[in-house]
Amino acid sequence: MYGLVALGYHITWATSRTMNFSQGHAVMVGAVVAYAVFVGLHWPFPLALVATLVALAGFGALVERVAVRPFFLRASPAWLLATIAVGIIAENVAQLTFGKDARAFPSALVRKPIMIGSVGFYPQELLVPLVGLLLMGLVQLFYHRTAYGKRLKAVAFNPEAAGLMGINIPRAVMASYALSALLAGVAGVLLAPLLNVAPQMGTIIGLKAFAVAIIGGLTSAPGIVLAGLGYGLVESFTAGYISTRAREIVGFGLVILVLVVRPWGLLGEKPTRRV
Amino acid sequence: MRRLFLTLTVLLAAGWCPFALAQSKDPVKIGLSAAVSGGSAASGEAIKRGLQIAIDEINAKGGVLGGRKLELVVRDDEGNPQKGVTIARELVEREKVAAVFGGLHTTVALAQVPVWLELKVPYMGTWAAGTNVTRNGQTPNYVFRVSANDDYVDRFLSRYAMDSLKKSKPGFLLENTPWGQSNEVGLTKWFGEKGVKAVGVERFNWNDPDMSPQLLRLKNAGADLIVLVANAPEGAQVLRSKSKLGWDAAMISHWGISGGRFAELTGDLSDGVTFLQTYTFFGKQNERGQYLLKALREKYGVKEPGDVIAPVGTANAYDGMHLVAMAIEQAGSTDGAKVRDALENLKGEYKGLIKTYKRPFTPEQHDALTDEDYVMVVWKGGKIVPIAMK
Repeated sequence: MYGLVALGYHITWATSRTMNFSQGHAVMVGAVVAYAVFVGLHWPFPLALVATLVALAGFGALVERVAVRPFFLRASPAWLLATIAVGIIAENVAQLTFGKDARAFPSALVRKPIMIGSVGFYPQELLVPLVGLLLMGLVQLFYHRTAYGKRLKAVAFNPEAAGLMGINIPRAVMASYALSALLAGVAGVLLAPLLNVAPQMGTIIGLKAFAVAIIGGLTSAPGIVLAGLGYGLVESFTAGYISTRAREIVGFGLVILVLVVRPWGLLGEKPTRRV
Repeated sequence: MRRLFLTLTVLLAAGWCPFALAQSKDPVKIGLSAAVSGGSAASGEAIKRGLQIAIDEINAKGGVLGGRKLELVVRDDEGNPQKGVTIARELVEREKVAAVFGGLHTTVALAQVPVWLELKVPYMGTWAAGTNVTRNGQTPNYVFRVSANDDYVDRFLSRYAMDSLKKSKPGFLLENTPWGQSNEVGLTKWFGEKGVKAVGVERFNWNDPDMSPQLLRLKNAGADLIVLVANAPEGAQVLRSKSKLGWDAAMISHWGISGGRFAELTGDLSDGVTFLQTYTFFGKQNERGQYLLKALREKYGVKEPGDVIAPVGTANAYDGMHLVAMAIEQAGSTDGAKVRDALENLKGEYKGLIKTYKRPFTPEQHDALTDEDYVMVVWKGGKIVPIAMK
């Protein structure tokens, strides 16, 4: 479940060497928007989904425009704080408009658990990794097989050369932000029935997704998806066999370990320093 | 500058004029320090409503002290103890309130305790249930409460578990906060009194999505009853995880799950979950209950009992306000020390919403409600239904 959100970090990192630190909040915005149109306005689900994705792409583009571009162009790392700020603003706006209570997001897939032996799970929980893998595949196809995807890659590889070749860099970066927020939106819609919808749901998801992105390697989509699955497994095993209170300790301890041993992540590319 | 002079002149005239009728008719201010924004905003709003309805009722009958109206001054403490202390001083020193009501957070209430003694102003708790808010070791004690007290709650829950449900293998499932901690102490004590020991004690953090591991451990330890101390969102996840385990053990709970939207979050999973309240607007209502529901409908658009947000806040605040008004009347003054003494020795009885109060406070007992006044209720089809107690 974290893999999907973490992919968003990878996408913007790959094109612009910047990240949207409000990625977790984008998940929340996705859940809240979906709740508003699906439960609030009673739109049919497919329409609500499309509306949510469009809104989220817009959100991503907005984040890029106000919180990244002004600093990106000046090569200033202030985008880091600026994107966090956008996330906090989004959370507070959601509290004002949506209310502070967690709300239930109805889904047929969380009504009855499937029982295997004495342990059950909801079909929705199965859907999350499936969609995650599928989207990762699509993102990979997009980068390697489509002209636009290749253009984004070119920007990542060498912005100056790509700019000289006539690629509109700000637009490419904006597109990557829109795409990354869109993925977060998908995650938001998928997770809403499981986690319920609440303005404060974003922070911890964003943090853990970031941990996953670091472990998997910011430059590697498959690495991130693998790390996402692995991180989830480690979490449940720690909670199950040691203690729930040890879960965060083990999870984030792992991040530090990876940073020490393989700073570029499990499957990330080892950066070669140009002299 | 000229306006300033004018204001000063008027103020001086009002203050110095020996026949200033205005002064004796000055309103009596009542303070409220509660979280009215942020995560617990609903509780603050509920308390405000209870106070305002009681104040309007008292004012309609002529106010207190021979015609002085009550006036509510609300301050947002944001659940922040430092802020709570600042607000306590501001309410007393600038607004000159006669008494202050408190909100949901035990941490804020505790931080304010020394301030009331120092400034000699009585405090009336309406929510925060921490045992040592009222049992604070101070003399004279300026802190009173019309709400639950964790110690009584734990006695109430343990008795219900052992006497009514006949369970002897409880497993505690608590939130990982000071509140969960204080209930672990109380539950251990009151179950232990009857020789019953918890088969397991498990904790969870706020916003945890999955409680299966904790439940599984309790189940494997042989628990026949889950005692839950949680707020609505986490309580809902507990129920989901419980259904995923296919575990049908009974569950009783502290009142945290009554705030928020527990029924909506859990659907039919909440059926049969039993918890306590100081009051419920469901079921047959006494006169005060009917009056409150009517007032809530007219003033705040509350259509049915299920729409009453954070009901215990409104109920506790309503009765608390009436008791404070009685004390002011009995003291014949708004002097804090006198009102405090009057609260400890209230004469006459007050037929309140939650119960009929006859000398609710004594020097030793500053909680007007004890476990004899709590009610057990159960979720049934998204509604809270009272359970008849033996």
